Amino acid sequence: MHTSKIGTMEAIMILLTIVATHTVLSLPKTLLSVTKSATVLNIIYISILALLLVIFIVRLFKKFPGMDLLDISEYLAGSFFKKVLGILFISYFIVSSSILLRNFCECLKIVYFPDTDLLFLIVLFIVAICIANRLSFTATLKTNLLVIPIVLVSVVFLFLANFRNFTFERMYPILGDGFWNTFVTGIGNISAFGGIAYLYFLPPLLKKPEQYKKIAITSVMITGIYLLLTVATILFMFSFFITEEEIMPLFSAARYIEFGTFFQRLESIFLLIWISAFCCYLSVVMKFSVHILQKITLLKDTNILIPCIGLSMLAITLFPENYAISKFYENTIYRYFVWDFVLFSNILILILANFKRRKKVGEIHE
Amino acid sequence: MSKWIKNGFIIIALLILVFSFTPSYTSLSIDNLAYVVAIGIDKGEKEAYKVTFQFTTGTSGQSSEQNPSIINSVEASSIDIAINLMNAYISKELNLSHCKVIVFSEEVAVEGISDFIYTFINHAQLRPSTNIIISRTTALSYIENTEPILESLVTKYYDVFPNSSKYTGYVSNVTIGEFYNALVCDTCEPFGILGGVSTGKVDQTFKSGNDFYVRSMETNFVGEQGSENLGLAVFKEDKLVGELNAIETLCLSLVRNQVDSFLISVPNPDNEDEKIDISINNRNLTSKVEIINGTPFITINGKLKGFIYSMTENDNYANTSILEKISESVNFHLENLLTQYLYKTSTVFHSDINGFGKQAASLFLTLPEFESYNWLDNYQYATFQVNMEAEIQTGTMITTS
Repeated sequence: MHTSKIGTMEAIMILLTIVATHTVLSLPKTLLSVTKSATVLNIIYISILALLLVIFIVRLFKKFPGMDLLDISEYLAGSFFKKVLGILFISYFIVSSSILLRNFCECLKIVYFPDTDLLFLIVLFIVAICIANRLSFTATLKTNLLVIPIVLVSVVFLFLANFRNFTFERMYPILGDGFWNTFVTGIGNISAFGGIAYLYFLPPLLKKPEQYKKIAITSVMITGIYLLLTVATILFMFSFFITEEEIMPLFSAARYIEFGTFFQRLESIFLLIWISAFCCYLSVVMKFSVHILQKITLLKDTNILIPCIGLSMLAITLFPENYAISKFYENTIYRYFVWDFVLFSNILILILANFKRRKKVGEIHE
Repeated sequence: MSKWIKNGFIIIALLILVFSFTPSYTSLSIDNLAYVVAIGIDKGEKEAYKVTFQFTTGTSGQSSEQNPSIINSVEASSIDIAINLMNAYISKELNLSHCKVIVFSEEVAVEGISDFIYTFINHAQLRPSTNIIISRTTALSYIENTEPILESLVTKYYDVFPNSSKYTGYVSNVTIGEFYNALVCDTCEPFGILGGVSTGKVDQTFKSGNDFYVRSMETNFVGEQGSENLGLAVFKEDKLVGELNAIETLCLSLVRNQVDSFLISVPNPDNEDEKIDISINNRNLTSKVEIINGTPFITINGKLKGFIYSMTENDNYANTSILEKISESVNFHLENLLTQYLYKTSTVFHSDINGFGKQAASLFLTLPEFESYNWLDNYQYATFQVNMEAEIQTGTMITTS
């Protein structure tokens, strides 16, 4: 991890990996169930808010060049606090990615592998990411750089190919359940920008730390456009995703793509792309978890940590008794996790650290 | 040594993974599957439903001979049980990924088909592009009589028959995806293709000059093709409430902007007894929904361009005033047809199959306001105004005779 630094584009792709994988599963449906027909409006609104938020985060990091959130937390409240925060972040990364993996494998099983044991599907992913993580971080970064643009293009293609199936009037009534629900309660949809969590750990890993602001702003803007396209595709095509539950809304949309009687069933290609995106996402999550664990334990050899984290992921993946429980986590608990932990608590840490630094500088000047 | 252990470990891991996926591959192997191309649902004699499955024999190629299809029926209390029983009967697992049509008999459709639609949509194998047909006769009879005369494969016929909707408008390409979408939405109602079995003779109730008013099983066809698809079956929620004939189906296709070109027959302004056939190949219909005193007021404005198809002796279609008269005749005829059709959907069927509700939703700021208005119930009180502006041009090859 320390030997290979992350380039600007690679960093942007890391942040986009998070939203790309979440949108494949139920993120568009979750957004739609909150703000209903006003979701397009809400996405524009929360994208602006997310943009302001990351500009604020970048500003807070400005006083701590070359430091990530763990270093800043140590500066604020000592090494114990750093360790606690590190464990919380590892838990967040591992739990959220494991549950996402479980849900994705459940969907794969329903669609293509009806008689295969779920465990084998999950193990396949875990083995793949463990092997990927044994290689250098550059391997993951380069694969990410290759796969994520394909995912982004696939969503644009999905939008354009389904254009004839769109009913634009489905965005009415324009305010959905009302102004309060769209612009106040709807702020909760900012959890779609969960990739911000990885922004806290990027500064010391960047090849060009001065590009940090550019990375943050670009990734949020692309995430906003990406979310807008996915949500618009679902909202304009289906009347039922607001009320009904159906697995993988984007997969459902992909099933409608047909070019004459020859080019049909393109959803298989989409699924292949999304499987690759999932592997990239899990690799990134594991890499960051290993990085944090190494930072709080001061271990030199990270290779030993890889199977430990892999097994932890496997255990958590198998923990939910059924799909309903894992879906509940993804749709409900994850949102509050992002809100309370990723956004509120960590920004508070950054603000307090900035106050402490200002106070110290003030004392020195006195 | 460690290299050997490492390689051995990789090989064992790969073998475990390969064999672990075998059950799914075995169940999806072509040898173990029976591909269903059509499903028919009728009322059963002993059980609730009689479900008919049509299979192909699996042979393909360029053979000019028709590939016979196999039709089996089973009585069961639900569609899933019927599939399971059929699995046992044919000793192969039914696969619905190539199912092209689902046929419901009218008897089943009037009682409501939402349970079937939800079950089918829940089926991962079934494509959303599968057509929904409501048969005026039993679904079994419809499937048995579907013997395409110009195709060697029945699947090919099922694939191409809805295409005529684009250039005739007498049938609509209704899929299960669209049906389900309309079933669950609160701004429109579903409809299905109206099917039937050809009687092989001209319907005796058929009146002269009403050749556009045909519908399945009330046609003037005499031919070898057993089944026919003309008109639409209209639903209120999940229950069949009525039927549309060919010209009314064209009206629906026009309102929904789903027909590329079509042919209409209008009275000759110079001689009321004669009719002129006009091909409309450029149309732009816009609808505007307003709510006046709590009642929907729907305006349809259409701009059409077409040319005269029919030609008789002494016709002069190069004359501007004659063309204007014909254009006026087209306007009057279409306005009349569309108005009658729209009032039929609102006052007779109480069913907004045109999807005006989607536009009505834009008149409300919030969903609770729209829901409290209850569009689908208020549609029956709608008032319609249709304005057509046709521009008819002279014929194609001969302009004056």
